[in-house]
Amino acid sequence: MDIDDILASVDRHDPSTPESTALDHQLLTRFWVAERGISELLPWPGALMDRMMERVRRQIETIEDLAAAASSDPYTDPTTTTTTTNPTRNTHQATANLTLSILQTDLSRTQYLLRSLLRQRLSKLTQHSMHYLLLLSAPSPNTSQSQSQSQPQNDDLKPEDTIPTPDTTGPNPPLSAPEVQFLHAHQLLLAKHYGDAFLGSFPPQLRRLDDNAGGTSMVQGPDAKEVVFVRCLVEEVRVVVPPGDGVEEEVLGGTAMRMGDVWAVRWEGVRGAWGRGEVEVL
Amino acid sequence: MAFPLPRGITPPEISFLAEMEMVTILPRQRLEGLELLGGPVEPLIPPRRASVPLWLALLLKRQRRANILPPSWLHPESLSFILDIETQYEEYKETFSPPPPLPGQPFLHDRGERAVATPRFTPDGDKYYPAPPFLPQNVARDHVPAQELQTLPFHWLEVGNMLLEAASEDLVDPDQTRRLLKELREVRMAKIRSGVDALDAAAMGGGGVALTGVGAIELGEGRRFISGVIDGLRRIGASREQARREELAEEMANGGYDATQDDDDEMEF
Repeated sequence: MDIDDILASVDRHDPSTPESTALDHQLLTRFWVAERGISELLPWPGALMDRMMERVRRQIETIEDLAAAASSDPYTDPTTTTTTTNPTRNTHQATANLTLSILQTDLSRTQYLLRSLLRQRLSKLTQHSMHYLLLLSAPSPNTSQSQSQSQPQNDDLKPEDTIPTPDTTGPNPPLSAPEVQFLHAHQLLLAKHYGDAFLGSFPPQLRRLDDNAGGTSMVQGPDAKEVVFVRCLVEEVRVVVPPGDGVEEEVLGGTAMRMGDVWAVRWEGVRGAWGRGEVEVL
Repeated sequence: MAFPLPRGITPPEISFLAEMEMVTILPRQRLEGLELLGGPVEPLIPPRRASVPLWLALLLKRQRRANILPPSWLHPESLSFILDIETQYEEYKETFSPPPPLPGQPFLHDRGERAVATPRFTPDGDKYYPAPPFLPQNVARDHVPAQELQTLPFHWLEVGNMLLEAASEDLVDPDQTRRLLKELREVRMAKIRSGVDALDAAAMGGGGVALTGVGAIELGEGRRFISGVIDGLRRIGASREQARREELAEEMANGGYDATQDDDDEMEF
Protein backbone atom coordinates (compact mmCIF):
# COMPACT_ATOMS: atom_id res chain seq x y z
CA MET A 1 0.00 0.00 0.00
CA ASP A 2 1.52 3.33 -1.00
CA ILE A 3 0.90 6.80 0.30
CA ASP A 4 -1.93 7.52 -2.17
CA ASP A 5 -3.87 4.54 -0.94
CA ILE A 6 -3.51 5.66 2.65
CA LEU A 7 -4.57 9.21 1.83
CA ALA A 8 -7.54 7.97 -0.15
CA SER A 9 -8.69 5.66 2.60
CA VAL A 10 -8.52 8.47 5.16
CA ASP A 11 -10.50 10.63 2.77
CA ARG A 12 -13.38 8.17 2.86
CA HIS A 13 -16.88 9.45 2.29
CA ASP A 14 -19.26 10.13 5.06
CA PRO A 15 -22.19 7.74 4.35
CA SER A 16 -24.75 10.55 4.47
CA THR A 17 -23.37 12.62 1.58
CA PRO A 18 -24.92 12.51 -1.91
CA GLU A 19 -21.62 11.26 -3.38
CA SER A 20 -21.74 8.30 -1.07
CA THR A 21 -25.33 7.60 -2.18
CA ALA A 22 -24.19 7.47 -5.78
CA LEU A 23 -21.25 5.23 -4.90
CA ASP A 24 -23.43 2.81 -2.95
CA HIS A 25 -25.86 2.65 -5.84
CA GLN A 26 -23.00 1.71 -8.14
CA LEU A 27 -21.75 -0.90 -5.69
CA LEU A 28 -25.21 -2.42 -5.36
CA THR A 29 -25.67 -2.53 -9.13
CA ARG A 30 -22.31 -4.20 -9.62
CA PHE A 31 -23.02 -6.70 -6.86
CA TRP A 32 -26.40 -7.51 -8.36
CA VAL A 33 -24.89 -8.20 -11.79
CA ALA A 34 -22.26 -10.43 -10.18
CA GLU A 35 -24.78 -12.33 -8.07
CA ARG A 36 -26.90 -12.89 -11.19
CA GLY A 37 -23.91 -14.01 -13.22
CA ILE A 38 -22.10 -16.61 -11.16
CA SER A 39 -23.04 -19.99 -9.84
CA GLU A 40 -22.18 -19.72 -6.15
CA LEU A 41 -23.54 -17.46 -3.44
CA LEU A 42 -21.44 -14.35 -2.88
CA PRO A 43 -20.62 -13.14 0.64
CA TRP A 44 -23.45 -11.08 2.08
CA PRO A 45 -22.61 -7.34 1.79
CA GLY A 46 -24.06 -6.51 5.18
CA ALA A 47 -22.91 -2.91 5.60
CA LEU A 48 -23.90 -1.94 2.06
CA MET A 49 -27.35 -3.51 2.41
CA ASP A 50 -27.93 -1.80 5.75
CA ARG A 51 -27.11 1.57 4.21
CA MET A 52 -29.32 0.90 1.20
CA MET A 53 -32.30 -0.23 3.27
CA GLU A 54 -31.98 2.84 5.50
CA ARG A 55 -31.92 5.12 2.45
CA VAL A 56 -34.93 3.38 0.91
CA ARG A 57 -36.84 3.84 4.17
CA ARG A 58 -35.97 7.54 4.30
CA GLN A 59 -36.83 8.04 0.62
CA ILE A 60 -40.27 6.46 1.15
CA GLU A 61 -40.87 8.91 3.99
CA THR A 62 -39.82 11.83 1.79
CA ILE A 63 -42.17 10.68 -0.97
CA GLU A 64 -45.06 10.26 1.46
CA ASP A 65 -44.50 13.74 2.85
CA LEU A 66 -44.39 15.24 -0.62
CA ALA A 67 -47.48 13.34 -1.72
CA ALA A 68 -49.36 14.44 1.39
CA ALA A 69 -48.35 18.05 0.81
CA ALA A 70 -49.35 17.91 -2.84
CA SER A 71 -52.75 16.35 -2.21
CA SER A 72 -53.63 18.54 0.74
CA ASP A 73 -52.55 21.70 -1.02
CA PRO A 74 -55.79 22.40 -2.99
CA TYR A 75 -57.92 22.03 0.11
CA THR A 76 -55.97 24.26 2.46
CA ASP A 77 -56.74 27.55 0.83
CA PRO A 78 -59.33 27.07 -1.94
CA THR A 79 -61.09 30.31 -1.06
CA THR A 80 -58.05 32.52 -1.38
CA THR A 81 -57.28 31.18 -4.84
CA THR A 82 -58.25 33.65 -7.46
CA THR A 83 -58.31 33.13 -11.18
CA THR A 84 -55.23 35.27 -11.67
CA THR A 85 -53.01 33.09 -9.48
CA ASN A 86 -54.25 29.85 -11.03
CA PRO A 87 -51.68 29.53 -13.84
CA THR A 88 -48.72 29.75 -11.45
CA ARG A 89 -50.50 27.40 -9.10
CA ASN A 90 -50.98 24.91 -11.87
CA THR A 91 -47.37 24.97 -12.94
CA HIS A 92 -46.36 24.61 -9.33
CA GLN A 93 -48.66 21.62 -9.05
CA ALA A 94 -47.28 20.15 -12.27
CA THR A 95 -43.70 20.49 -11.04
CA ALA A 96 -44.62 18.82 -7.78
CA ASN A 97 -46.19 15.95 -9.68
CA LEU A 98 -43.13 15.63 -11.88
CA THR A 99 -40.81 15.59 -8.89
CA LEU A 100 -42.98 12.98 -7.27
CA SER A 101 -43.02 10.75 -10.34
CA ILE A 102 -39.24 11.02 -10.70
CA LEU A 103 -38.70 10.11 -7.06
CA GLN A 104 -41.10 7.18 -7.34
CA THR A 105 -39.47 5.86 -10.52
CA ASP A 106 -36.08 6.07 -8.85
CA LEU A 107 -37.39 4.28 -5.78
CA SER A 108 -38.95 1.51 -7.86
CA ARG A 109 -35.71 0.98 -9.73
CA THR A 110 -33.75 0.58 -6.51
CA GLN A 111 -36.40 -1.68 -5.01
CA TYR A 112 -36.28 -3.81 -8.15
CA LEU A 113 -32.51 -4.21 -7.75
CA LEU A 114 -32.85 -5.23 -4.10
CA ARG A 115 -35.72 -7.61 -4.77
CA SER A 116 -34.02 -9.28 -7.69
CA LEU A 117 -30.82 -9.66 -5.67
CA LEU A 118 -32.54 -11.24 -2.68
CA ARG A 119 -34.63 -13.58 -4.82
CA GLN A 120 -31.57 -14.72 -6.73
CA ARG A 121 -29.84 -15.49 -3.44
CA LEU A 122 -32.84 -17.45 -2.16
CA SER A 123 -32.91 -19.42 -5.37
CA LYS A 124 -29.22 -20.33 -4.99
CA LEU A 125 -29.78 -21.25 -1.35
CA THR A 126 -32.66 -23.62 -2.09
CA GLN A 127 -30.79 -25.18 -4.98
CA HIS A 128 -27.78 -26.20 -2.90
CA SER A 129 -29.22 -25.90 0.61
CA MET A 130 -27.30 -28.82 2.09
CA HIS A 131 -24.02 -27.56 0.68
CA TYR A 132 -24.42 -24.13 2.28
CA LEU A 133 -25.54 -25.63 5.59
CA LEU A 134 -22.42 -27.78 5.68
CA LEU A 135 -20.37 -24.74 4.74
CA LEU A 136 -21.83 -22.75 7.62
CA SER A 137 -21.09 -25.49 10.11
CA ALA A 138 -17.69 -26.23 8.59
CA PRO A 139 -15.52 -25.30 11.62
CA SER A 140 -16.36 -28.60 13.29
CA PRO A 141 -15.86 -31.31 10.67
CA ASN A 142 -14.58 -33.76 13.30
CA THR A 143 -17.81 -33.85 15.22
CA SER A 144 -19.87 -34.51 12.12
CA GLN A 145 -17.46 -37.27 11.16
CA SER A 146 -17.84 -38.98 14.49
CA GLN A 147 -21.59 -38.58 14.32
CA SER A 148 -21.77 -40.27 10.97
CA GLN A 149 -19.89 -43.21 12.37
CA SER A 150 -21.79 -43.49 15.62
CA GLN A 151 -25.28 -42.84 14.37
CA PRO A 152 -25.91 -45.81 12.08
CA GLN A 153 -26.41 -47.87 15.22
CA ASN A 154 -29.26 -45.60 16.14
CA ASP A 155 -32.37 -47.41 14.89
CA ASP A 156 -34.67 -44.43 14.59
CA LEU A 157 -32.39 -42.02 12.75
CA LYS A 158 -34.50 -39.46 10.97
CA PRO A 159 -33.26 -37.65 7.85
CA GLU A 160 -33.64 -34.32 9.63
CA ASP A 161 -31.15 -35.44 12.28
CA THR A 162 -28.38 -35.28 9.69
CA ILE A 163 -28.87 -31.57 9.11
CA PRO A 164 -26.10 -29.56 10.72
CA THR A 165 -26.99 -26.58 12.87
CA PRO A 166 -25.61 -23.46 11.25
CA ASP A 167 -22.96 -21.60 13.15
CA THR A 168 -23.54 -17.85 12.84
CA THR A 169 -20.84 -16.64 15.18
CA GLY A 170 -18.24 -16.22 12.42
CA PRO A 171 -16.75 -12.76 11.89
CA ASN A 172 -17.74 -12.41 8.25
CA PRO A 173 -20.81 -14.55 7.62
CA PRO A 174 -21.45 -15.44 3.97
CA LEU A 175 -25.19 -15.25 4.61
CA SER A 176 -27.36 -12.72 6.39
CA ALA A 177 -29.10 -13.85 9.58
CA PRO A 178 -32.57 -14.15 7.97
CA GLU A 179 -31.03 -16.17 5.15
CA VAL A 180 -29.46 -18.60 7.61
CA GLN A 181 -32.79 -18.92 9.38
CA PHE A 182 -34.59 -19.56 6.09
CA LEU A 183 -31.99 -22.06 4.96
CA HIS A 184 -32.20 -24.11 8.14
CA ALA A 185 -36.00 -24.09 8.25
CA HIS A 186 -36.21 -24.95 4.56
CA GLN A 187 -33.89 -27.92 4.83
CA LEU A 188 -35.60 -29.15 7.98
CA LEU A 189 -38.97 -29.15 6.24
CA LEU A 190 -37.51 -30.84 3.20
CA ALA A 191 -35.85 -33.55 5.30
CA LYS A 192 -39.09 -34.18 7.21
CA HIS A 193 -40.93 -34.50 3.95
CA TYR A 194 -38.36 -36.92 2.52
CA GLY A 195 -38.54 -38.91 5.72
CA ASP A 196 -42.32 -39.18 5.65
CA ALA A 197 -42.47 -39.82 1.93
CA PHE A 198 -39.88 -42.54 1.44
CA LEU A 199 -36.70 -42.35 3.54
CA GLY A 200 -38.62 -43.57 6.63
CA SER A 201 -39.07 -47.00 5.10
CA PHE A 202 -35.35 -47.36 4.37
CA PRO A 203 -32.91 -49.04 6.77
CA PRO A 204 -31.61 -46.41 9.25
CA GLN A 205 -28.10 -46.27 7.76
CA LEU A 206 -29.50 -45.24 4.39
CA ARG A 207 -31.50 -42.33 5.73
CA ARG A 208 -28.73 -39.76 5.89
CA LEU A 209 -28.85 -36.69 3.65
CA ASP A 210 -25.11 -36.07 3.87
CA ASP A 211 -23.94 -39.57 3.07
CA ASN A 212 -20.40 -39.80 1.78
CA ALA A 213 -20.03 -43.55 1.56
CA GLY A 214 -17.42 -44.69 -0.93
CA GLY A 215 -15.67 -41.33 -0.89
CA THR A 216 -18.36 -39.62 -2.91
CA SER A 217 -20.36 -37.00 -1.11
CA MET A 218 -24.03 -36.85 -2.03
CA VAL A 219 -24.10 -33.15 -1.23
CA GLN A 220 -23.63 -31.21 -4.42
CA GLY A 221 -22.36 -27.67 -4.47
CA PRO A 222 -22.32 -25.02 -7.16
CA ASP A 223 -19.84 -25.52 -9.97
CA ALA A 224 -16.97 -23.05 -9.53
CA LYS A 225 -15.46 -24.10 -12.85
CA GLU A 226 -18.25 -22.52 -14.87
CA VAL A 227 -17.22 -19.66 -17.10
CA VAL A 228 -18.09 -16.09 -16.30
CA PHE A 229 -17.55 -12.91 -18.27
CA VAL A 230 -15.37 -10.36 -16.53
CA ARG A 231 -13.88 -6.97 -17.26
CA CYS A 232 -10.41 -6.24 -15.96
CA LEU A 233 -10.36 -2.92 -14.09
CA VAL A 234 -6.70 -2.65 -13.12
CA GLU A 235 -3.42 -2.70 -15.01
CA GLU A 236 -3.14 -6.49 -15.10
CA VAL A 237 -4.84 -9.52 -13.58
CA ARG A 238 -3.49 -13.05 -13.94
CA VAL A 239 -5.99 -15.89 -14.07
CA VAL A 240 -5.13 -18.47 -11.44
CA VAL A 241 -5.72 -22.18 -11.03
CA PRO A 242 -6.76 -22.87 -7.44
CA PRO A 243 -5.32 -25.80 -5.47
CA GLY A 244 -6.79 -29.20 -6.22
CA ASP A 245 -6.12 -32.52 -7.94
CA GLY A 246 -3.01 -33.05 -5.85
CA VAL A 247 -1.50 -29.62 -6.49
CA GLU A 248 -1.25 -27.93 -3.12
CA GLU A 249 -0.76 -24.32 -4.07
CA GLU A 250 -2.35 -21.79 -6.35
CA VAL A 251 -0.81 -21.77 -9.81
CA LEU A 252 -0.78 -18.78 -12.14
CA GLY A 253 -2.48 -19.54 -15.40
CA GLY A 254 -1.20 -18.53 -18.81
CA THR A 255 -3.73 -15.76 -19.20
CA ALA A 256 -3.02 -12.16 -18.26
CA MET A 257 -5.88 -9.73 -18.61
CA ARG A 258 -5.06 -6.11 -19.37
CA MET A 259 -7.02 -3.09 -18.26
CA GLY A 260 -10.37 -2.71 -20.02
CA ASP A 261 -10.28 -6.23 -21.47
CA VAL A 262 -13.36 -8.43 -21.38
CA TRP A 263 -12.66 -12.13 -20.94
CA ALA A 264 -14.55 -15.38 -20.61
CA VAL A 265 -12.75 -17.26 -17.83
CA ARG A 266 -13.49 -19.76 -15.10
CA TRP A 267 -15.03 -18.27 -11.99
CA GLU A 268 -12.55 -20.03 -9.71
CA GLY A 269 -9.73 -18.38 -11.69
CA VAL A 270 -10.82 -14.83 -10.92
CA ARG A 271 -12.63 -15.25 -7.60
CA GLY A 272 -9.73 -13.73 -5.67
CA ALA A 273 -9.40 -10.80 -8.08
CA TRP A 274 -13.15 -10.18 -7.79
CA GLY A 275 -12.84 -10.07 -4.02
CA ARG A 276 -10.16 -7.39 -4.35
CA GLY A 277 -12.36 -5.42 -6.74
CA GLU A 278 -9.92 -5.83 -9.63
CA VAL A 279 -12.41 -7.39 -12.02
CA GLU A 280 -16.13 -6.96 -12.45
CA VAL A 281 -18.54 -9.64 -13.56
CA LEU A 282 -20.58 -8.75 -16.63
CA MET B 1 -39.43 -21.16 -7.36
CA ALA B 2 -37.69 -18.29 -5.69
CA PHE B 3 -36.36 -16.92 -8.96
CA PRO B 4 -37.40 -17.94 -12.45
CA LEU B 5 -34.73 -16.20 -14.57
CA PRO B 6 -31.68 -18.04 -15.89
CA ARG B 7 -28.23 -17.17 -14.58
CA GLY B 8 -26.50 -14.21 -16.19
CA ILE B 9 -28.41 -11.01 -16.72
CA THR B 10 -31.06 -11.22 -19.43
CA PRO B 11 -31.64 -8.65 -22.20
CA PRO B 12 -34.40 -6.76 -20.32
CA GLU B 13 -32.07 -6.49 -17.33
CA ILE B 14 -29.29 -5.25 -19.61
CA SER B 15 -31.63 -2.52 -20.87
CA PHE B 16 -32.33 -1.69 -17.25
CA LEU B 17 -28.59 -1.26 -16.69
CA ALA B 18 -28.21 0.77 -19.87
CA GLU B 19 -30.82 3.19 -18.53
CA MET B 20 -28.31 4.11 -15.81
CA GLU B 21 -25.92 5.59 -18.40
CA MET B 22 -25.57 9.35 -18.09
CA VAL B 23 -26.72 11.40 -21.08
CA THR B 24 -26.80 15.13 -21.74
CA ILE B 25 -30.13 16.92 -21.92
CA LEU B 26 -31.23 20.42 -22.74
CA PRO B 27 -34.04 21.10 -20.26
CA ARG B 28 -37.06 23.12 -21.37
CA GLN B 29 -38.28 23.88 -17.87
CA ARG B 30 -36.81 24.49 -14.46
CA LEU B 31 -36.59 21.78 -11.89
CA GLU B 32 -34.87 21.83 -8.55
CA GLY B 33 -32.02 19.47 -7.83
CA LEU B 34 -33.16 16.12 -6.48
CA GLU B 35 -31.60 13.64 -4.06
CA LEU B 36 -32.28 10.27 -5.68
CA LEU B 37 -31.28 6.84 -4.45
CA GLY B 38 -29.17 6.53 -7.57
CA GLY B 39 -27.28 9.70 -6.72
CA PRO B 40 -28.00 13.43 -6.85
CA VAL B 41 -29.51 15.11 -9.92
CA GLU B 42 -28.32 18.61 -10.66
CA PRO B 43 -30.89 21.44 -10.90
CA LEU B 44 -32.35 21.86 -14.37
CA ILE B 45 -32.15 25.46 -15.54
CA PRO B 46 -32.87 26.13 -19.22
CA PRO B 47 -30.94 26.67 -21.41
CA ARG B 48 -28.08 25.17 -19.43
CA ARG B 49 -27.13 21.59 -20.29
CA ALA B 50 -27.35 18.91 -17.63
CA SER B 51 -26.24 15.29 -17.25
CA VAL B 52 -28.92 12.91 -16.03
CA PRO B 53 -29.41 9.14 -16.15
CA LEU B 54 -30.95 7.89 -19.38
CA TRP B 55 -34.18 6.74 -17.70
CA LEU B 56 -34.74 10.26 -16.38
CA ALA B 57 -33.84 11.80 -19.72
CA LEU B 58 -36.39 9.56 -21.45
CA LEU B 59 -39.04 10.38 -18.84
CA LEU B 60 -38.49 14.11 -19.37
CA LYS B 61 -38.33 13.69 -23.15
CA ARG B 62 -41.64 11.82 -23.31
CA GLN B 63 -43.29 14.68 -21.43
CA ARG B 64 -41.61 17.20 -23.74
CA ARG B 65 -39.79 18.75 -20.84
CA ALA B 66 -36.32 18.30 -22.32
CA ASN B 67 -34.37 17.53 -25.47
CA ILE B 68 -31.64 14.92 -25.49
CA LEU B 69 -28.27 15.77 -26.97
CA PRO B 70 -27.00 12.61 -28.64
CA PRO B 71 -23.53 11.33 -27.69
CA SER B 72 -20.82 11.96 -30.24
CA TRP B 73 -20.50 8.30 -31.23
CA LEU B 74 -24.19 8.22 -32.22
CA HIS B 75 -23.58 10.33 -35.30
CA PRO B 76 -23.66 8.89 -38.83
CA GLU B 77 -20.06 10.01 -39.42
CA SER B 78 -18.76 8.35 -36.26
CA LEU B 79 -20.75 5.20 -36.86
CA SER B 80 -19.51 4.80 -40.43
CA PHE B 81 -15.95 5.40 -39.19
CA ILE B 82 -16.38 2.59 -36.65
CA LEU B 83 -18.00 0.38 -39.27
CA ASP B 84 -14.90 0.94 -41.40
CA ILE B 85 -12.67 -0.20 -38.55
CA GLU B 86 -14.82 -3.28 -38.02
CA THR B 87 -14.80 -4.31 -41.67
CA GLN B 88 -11.78 -2.85 -43.48
CA TYR B 89 -8.88 -3.27 -41.11
CA GLU B 90 -7.01 -6.53 -41.11
CA GLU B 91 -6.14 -6.38 -37.41
CA TYR B 92 -9.81 -6.10 -36.42
CA LYS B 93 -10.98 -8.84 -38.76
CA GLU B 94 -11.76 -11.21 -35.90
CA THR B 95 -11.96 -8.87 -32.95
CA PHE B 96 -14.28 -6.01 -32.12
CA SER B 97 -13.27 -2.40 -32.53
CA PRO B 98 -11.63 -1.11 -29.33
CA PRO B 99 -13.94 0.04 -26.52
CA PRO B 100 -13.66 3.48 -24.94
CA PRO B 101 -10.75 3.45 -22.46
CA LEU B 102 -11.41 3.26 -18.75
CA PRO B 103 -10.20 6.19 -16.63
CA GLY B 104 -6.42 6.01 -16.50
CA GLN B 105 -6.14 3.77 -19.52
CA PRO B 106 -4.22 5.26 -22.47
CA PHE B 107 -5.65 5.31 -25.98
CA LEU B 108 -4.74 2.54 -28.30
CA HIS B 109 -2.21 4.27 -30.49
CA ASP B 110 -0.01 5.66 -27.74
CA ARG B 111 1.03 2.33 -26.41
CA GLY B 112 4.07 3.84 -24.75
CA GLU B 113 1.91 5.15 -21.91
CA ARG B 114 1.19 2.81 -19.07
CA ALA B 115 -2.29 2.17 -17.77
CA VAL B 116 -2.74 3.47 -14.24
CA ALA B 117 -5.92 2.55 -12.42
CA THR B 118 -6.69 4.88 -9.54
CA PRO B 119 -9.18 3.41 -7.11
CA ARG B 120 -11.85 5.16 -5.12
CA PHE B 121 -12.65 3.78 -1.72
CA THR B 122 -16.00 2.44 -0.60
CA PRO B 123 -17.29 3.23 2.91
CA ASP B 124 -16.26 -0.32 3.84
CA GLY B 125 -12.68 0.44 2.84
CA ASP B 126 -12.60 -1.69 -0.31
CA LYS B 127 -11.17 -0.45 -3.57
CA TYR B 128 -13.62 0.58 -6.24
CA TYR B 129 -12.84 1.20 -9.89
CA PRO B 130 -15.77 2.70 -11.80
CA ALA B 131 -16.88 1.06 -15.03
CA PRO B 132 -19.85 1.32 -17.42
CA PRO B 133 -22.69 2.17 -16.97
CA PHE B 134 -21.22 4.64 -14.48
CA LEU B 135 -18.73 6.37 -16.77
CA PRO B 136 -19.62 9.40 -18.86
CA GLN B 137 -19.38 7.55 -22.18
CA ASN B 138 -22.68 8.75 -23.57
CA VAL B 139 -22.67 12.42 -22.71
CA ALA B 140 -22.52 14.99 -25.49
CA ARG B 141 -19.26 16.89 -25.78
CA ASP B 142 -18.67 20.10 -27.68
CA HIS B 143 -15.05 19.48 -28.17
CA VAL B 144 -13.62 16.07 -28.97
CA PRO B 145 -9.80 16.00 -28.86
CA ALA B 146 -8.36 15.38 -32.30
CA GLN B 147 -6.29 12.37 -31.34
CA GLU B 148 -9.30 10.65 -29.79
CA LEU B 149 -10.84 7.92 -31.91
CA GLN B 150 -14.55 7.28 -31.99
CA THR B 151 -15.46 4.15 -30.08
CA LEU B 152 -18.59 2.18 -29.30
CA PRO B 153 -19.43 2.24 -25.56
CA PHE B 154 -20.42 -0.94 -23.71
CA HIS B 155 -24.16 -0.21 -23.90
CA TRP B 156 -24.07 1.15 -27.46
CA LEU B 157 -26.91 -0.85 -28.95
CA GLU B 158 -29.35 -0.29 -26.08
CA VAL B 159 -28.64 3.42 -25.76
CA GLY B 160 -28.73 3.85 -29.53
CA ASN B 161 -32.04 2.05 -29.92
CA MET B 162 -33.67 3.79 -26.97
CA LEU B 163 -32.66 7.19 -28.29
CA LEU B 164 -33.83 6.30 -31.79
CA GLU B 165 -37.16 5.22 -30.42
CA ALA B 166 -37.87 8.05 -27.99
CA ALA B 167 -35.83 10.95 -29.28
CA SER B 168 -35.33 10.42 -33.00
CA GLU B 169 -35.98 14.10 -33.79
CA ASP B 170 -33.00 15.05 -31.58
CA LEU B 171 -30.62 12.89 -33.62
CA VAL B 172 -28.72 13.82 -36.74
CA ASP B 173 -30.24 11.87 -39.63
CA PRO B 174 -32.05 9.14 -37.64
CA ASP B 175 -32.69 6.93 -40.68
CA GLN B 176 -29.04 6.77 -41.60
CA THR B 177 -28.15 6.20 -37.93
CA ARG B 178 -30.61 3.34 -37.69
CA ARG B 179 -29.21 1.73 -40.82
CA LEU B 180 -25.62 2.02 -39.60
CA LEU B 181 -26.48 0.58 -36.17
CA LYS B 182 -28.10 -2.38 -37.88
CA GLU B 183 -25.07 -2.93 -40.11
CA LEU B 184 -22.69 -2.72 -37.16
CA ARG B 185 -24.79 -5.21 -35.28
CA GLU B 186 -24.71 -7.70 -38.13
CA VAL B 187 -20.97 -7.37 -38.68
CA ARG B 188 -20.27 -7.90 -34.99
CA MET B 189 -22.70 -10.79 -34.65
CA ALA B 190 -20.87 -12.57 -37.44
CA LYS B 191 -17.63 -12.09 -35.48
CA ILE B 192 -19.14 -13.68 -32.38
CA ARG B 193 -20.27 -16.66 -34.41
CA SER B 194 -16.94 -17.12 -36.18
CA GLY B 195 -15.06 -16.86 -32.87
CA VAL B 196 -16.29 -20.26 -31.66
CA ASP B 197 -13.02 -21.92 -32.67
CA ALA B 198 -11.11 -19.90 -30.09
CA LEU B 199 -13.35 -20.95 -27.20
CA ASP B 200 -11.26 -24.04 -26.52
CA ALA B 201 -8.67 -21.85 -24.76
CA ALA B 202 -11.10 -21.06 -21.94
CA ALA B 203 -11.90 -24.70 -21.33
CA MET B 204 -8.59 -25.41 -19.57
CA GLY B 205 -7.87 -24.16 -16.08
CA GLY B 206 -6.15 -20.79 -16.04
CA GLY B 207 -7.09 -20.06 -19.64
CA GLY B 208 -9.53 -17.61 -21.08
CA VAL B 209 -10.96 -16.10 -24.23
CA ALA B 210 -10.78 -12.37 -24.87
CA LEU B 211 -13.97 -10.67 -25.99
CA THR B 212 -12.69 -7.12 -25.54
CA GLY B 213 -14.92 -4.52 -27.12
CA VAL B 214 -18.05 -6.64 -26.97
CA GLY B 215 -21.31 -4.83 -26.22
CA ALA B 216 -23.55 -5.62 -23.28
CA ILE B 217 -26.47 -6.90 -25.30
CA GLU B 218 -24.20 -8.90 -27.59
CA LEU B 219 -22.73 -10.56 -24.54
CA GLY B 220 -26.23 -11.16 -23.18
CA GLU B 221 -27.30 -12.88 -26.37
CA GLY B 222 -24.13 -14.91 -26.76
CA ARG B 223 -23.79 -15.76 -23.08
CA ARG B 224 -25.70 -19.02 -22.99
CA PHE B 225 -24.11 -20.26 -26.21
CA ILE B 226 -20.53 -19.31 -25.30
CA SER B 227 -20.67 -20.61 -21.74
CA GLY B 228 -22.46 -23.75 -22.96
CA VAL B 229 -19.71 -24.48 -25.49
CA ILE B 230 -16.91 -23.81 -23.00
CA ASP B 231 -18.51 -25.93 -20.28
CA GLY B 232 -19.05 -28.74 -22.77
CA LEU B 233 -15.43 -28.60 -23.90
CA ARG B 234 -14.33 -28.54 -20.27
CA ARG B 235 -16.21 -31.75 -19.49
CA ILE B 236 -14.72 -33.45 -22.54
CA GLY B 237 -11.23 -32.36 -21.54
CA ALA B 238 -11.65 -32.97 -17.80
CA SER B 239 -9.63 -36.17 -17.64
CA ARG B 240 -6.84 -34.68 -19.75
CA GLU B 241 -6.72 -31.68 -17.46
CA GLN B 242 -6.66 -33.83 -14.36
CA ALA B 243 -3.80 -35.88 -15.74
CA ARG B 244 -1.87 -32.73 -16.45
CA ARG B 245 -2.51 -31.45 -12.94
CA GLU B 246 -1.30 -34.68 -11.43
CA GLU B 247 1.84 -34.49 -13.54
CA LEU B 248 2.38 -30.95 -12.27
CA ALA B 249 1.84 -32.08 -8.69
CA GLU B 250 4.44 -34.78 -9.17
CA GLU B 251 6.93 -32.33 -10.67
CA MET B 252 6.41 -29.99 -7.77
CA ALA B 253 6.90 -32.78 -5.28
CA ASN B 254 10.10 -33.89 -6.99
CA GLY B 255 11.43 -30.37 -7.10
CA GLY B 256 11.66 -29.69 -10.82
CA TYR B 257 11.30 -30.74 -14.39
CA ASP B 258 14.70 -32.03 -15.41
CA ALA B 259 15.47 -34.42 -12.63
CA THR B 260 12.35 -36.48 -13.15
CA GLN B 261 11.99 -36.26 -16.90
CA ASP B 262 14.21 -39.26 -17.73
CA ASP B 263 12.75 -41.49 -15.06
CA ASP B 264 9.26 -40.84 -16.36
CA ASP B 265 10.24 -41.81 -19.88
CA GLU B 266 11.75 -45.05 -18.71
CA MET B 267 8.71 -45.88 -16.66
CA GLU B 268 6.52 -45.80 -19.74
CA PHE B 269 8.46 -48.52 -21.54
